[in-house]
Amino acid sequence: MGPQASAQGSLRPLNISIGRVPLSLVIPGPHLREKALTRYREFTANSEAGLPVVLRTDAQSDARPVHDDPNFSYVLDDASLRLDSSGAEFHGVRHEYALDSLIRILLTMVLLPQRGFLLHAATVVREGRAYVFTGRSGAGKSTVASLSPAGTVLTDEISLLRFSEGCWQAYGTPFWGEFRAAGQNEHYPIAGIYTLVQSAEDRVESLTKKEIIRALLPCVLFFTPSVEANQDMLRLMLQFVTQVPCYRLHFRRDYGFWNVVAA
Amino acid sequence: MNPFPERNPKLAWREIDGEAVIISPEDSHVHELNETASLIWTNADGKHSVDEIVGVIAARYEVPLVEAKADVDELIEVLSAKGLLVASKRAEVPAGA
Repeated sequence: MGPQASAQGSLRPLNISIGRVPLSLVIPGPHLREKALTRYREFTANSEAGLPVVLRTDAQSDARPVHDDPNFSYVLDDASLRLDSSGAEFHGVRHEYALDSLIRILLTMVLLPQRGFLLHAATVVREGRAYVFTGRSGAGKSTVASLSPAGTVLTDEISLLRFSEGCWQAYGTPFWGEFRAAGQNEHYPIAGIYTLVQSAEDRVESLTKKEIIRALLPCVLFFTPSVEANQDMLRLMLQFVTQVPCYRLHFRRDYGFWNVVAA
Repeated sequence: MNPFPERNPKLAWREIDGEAVIISPEDSHVHELNETASLIWTNADGKHSVDEIVGVIAARYEVPLVEAKADVDELIEVLSAKGLLVASKRAEVPAGA
């Protein structure tokens, strides 16, 4: 392939779909496009053209978020994103990690009106249902994932949860932590959500709505200063905790926790 | 004290089981109010006066107005110090204007 054909190929959108959110990535450089193809390979199947996401190599200096801006913008180190009604632009993306971060930030905004959100959580599938284990860094998400059979972990780090097909579902994502897997583009109805607490015993404790909201909010990925969007997020979280069984899981960091979770 | 306390419009909030959960989008800080503070919060719309809010609290908890006023004054002071309540524009209108 000559340079011209390669350049044309890199301008062809890379269509991916994460949590049923279709995105059309326009990536100018062949190197970054190849990296993205590898990283999102499990999320390109059957995807159609979606929200245009155009990557620009230049940095944008005026992307600081402001309260009354109807559009969304965010600055992450040297990179930034801007979202308006026509699509998104990413600026200053020099490697796949920055691309990954900006896609996560973008998804938080696109998912919100579709009754979805991203949560720091590991999700494990058991008998066709998703068990979501959440907590801050060090709470035990990776431990839960490592104690689960191979092929059952939907994600070990960031879960995509959204209401679809009549119930709350957990979707596989390409956003992984220690496992560094490609991810699975699958979704399963949520059996329950468990906030992790390391303990000397395995025990499940029911939580009030306020307790679970208090536990979940610090783990929700959300980046906008918009009061209206935060109001919408709170409303969505309240719907979520009303419709999904929520517990605190005291666990010993061994496989025994499944005895109380799936009891 | 501001006679017409008002919720800070830069905050997002929801009432959960009778208690307010408030998010400050600027710093992602979460505030949780107890039942009494939540009652003040929901009535702090810039239209209800402090005296009217005192009346609401006194009726809800069946306490004398004097006792309710002391609690309301203290809580409004605390909520204002945290930036949750702001001065209502109504309070800035000169008397007789």
